[in-house]
Amino acid sequence: MDNAIYVGLSRQIVLQRALDIAANNLANTDTTGYKFEELMTNPEPVTTARTVGISSPVVFVVDAGVARDFTQGSMLQTGGPLDVAIAGRGFFQVSTSGGMRFTRDGRFKLDPAGKLVTQDGDAVQGEGGDIVLDPKKGPVTISPSGIVSQNGERVAKLSVVDFPDLSVLSKDGNNSYANPTGVVPLPATSATLQQGMLEGSNVRPVTQITRLIQINRAYDAMANMINGAADLSKSAVQRLGSTNP
Amino acid sequence: MQALRTAATGMAAQQLNVEVISNNIANMNTVGFKKQRAEFEDLLYQNMEQVGAQSSDQGNIVPTGVQIGAGVKSGSVYRITTQGTLTTTGNQLDLAIDGRGFFEVQLPTGETAYSRAGNFSVNDQGQLVTADGYLIQPAITIPQNATGITISQSGQVQVTQPGSQTPAVVGQMQLATFVNEAGLEAIGNNLFLESAASGAAVTGNPQTEGFGKLMQGYTEASNVDPVSEITALIVAQRAYEMNSKVVTTADQMLATAANTKTA
Repeated sequence: MDNAIYVGLSRQIVLQRALDIAANNLANTDTTGYKFEELMTNPEPVTTARTVGISSPVVFVVDAGVARDFTQGSMLQTGGPLDVAIAGRGFFQVSTSGGMRFTRDGRFKLDPAGKLVTQDGDAVQGEGGDIVLDPKKGPVTISPSGIVSQNGERVAKLSVVDFPDLSVLSKDGNNSYANPTGVVPLPATSATLQQGMLEGSNVRPVTQITRLIQINRAYDAMANMINGAADLSKSAVQRLGSTNP
Repeated sequence: MQALRTAATGMAAQQLNVEVISNNIANMNTVGFKKQRAEFEDLLYQNMEQVGAQSSDQGNIVPTGVQIGAGVKSGSVYRITTQGTLTTTGNQLDLAIDGRGFFEVQLPTGETAYSRAGNFSVNDQGQLVTADGYLIQPAITIPQNATGITISQSGQVQVTQPGSQTPAVVGQMQLATFVNEAGLEAIGNNLFLESAASGAAVTGNPQTEGFGKLMQGYTEASNVDPVSEITALIVAQRAYEMNSKVVTTADQMLATAANTKTA
């Protein structure tokens, strides 16, 4: 009897989490290189308390994981000489105090020593380690294959790597991904770099807004079901408990 | 409910975005102004179920964990130091820098500030000063009887005086560059101060390696592109609106939960 209430509750808990994820997607519609996420759910069959004679399977809902959609975000032209977008699969490698991180956010800068760094001041990795530029040597050009040159002279090559299975990556905040399982990344083969461009977030606002409506309505429907079940048990108690039916 | 706080971070970020865009638009016609850009990053993730966690004793691995993000934060407000268009004014004391470099300006406190705004004048003593009357360094004095001033692309200041056939050299303009120009600290009045992020100033003459050249009779317009600012404004407004929709949804869900029958 109470199973209906608990099944409804399991759905409501999952819906709240789905709302948290949709909220994070919408908050990041303007975040360079952001990839949107969606909650995946699993049916969780349980054995019911009363199965004598009848089979009435009860199936709860549980969250199984967060799916991340790695489709390409829209390209925005900025004209910034140190803005780089990746077209195709791949990540820049960044060396942070917490270890190697991977990002598609190509808003690079120079630190006071001329080292190419991310917004958080972490060194962007070239194939031979940190990349150091001398602004006096003239404008920086970055080729589609990642070769960084100044005045026609090659300085370094940006390291762009790819993972065969992107689900091993864990989001780490600051637009970066960590690699907690330690899978060895491979050099990206299909990526081309575009200087003066940035990859926008791939959140499609319309989808997220409809998702909000959907979550809201589903939550409502579950509340109605719970209320119905509560009414049912209330009237059952009243009728069955009545001494003068 | 996390969603409420997440949406609040989104709204705060877009508010900052609008503030930066409005400052860019307000300074569209400011000589030597460099546009700014608010940059966003996603916030910390809460690991509900760790990626790569083992889901059984047999070593099964959770394929994708459950990570819930906490919203967005503003990483920095970045100054884009691309060249502004050179506008001809015909004024012989207007200078524009074509390329890298900043004019050095002496503040009343004695500190050195840096500026790209080259709309200069002379003060009562004939010294070259900015629009606010601050001295240009190294100081250049224009003689009172000068009939013409010529400033070469390499920064040499020459004046012609009555009774003299050859122009006389009265000074040499100097420029300063920084490894990280975006790291300079803006103090208003088109002035910047050196900071720990910019690196130390390197001074040199215009048109030498790593320095731009001077253009007399021109000023450098701001590098604000009105069309892209207006589109950015539209995007920011819509993003703000969508985040407020999340607040409404979360609020309605909380109301539904509160109205669930308890007996």
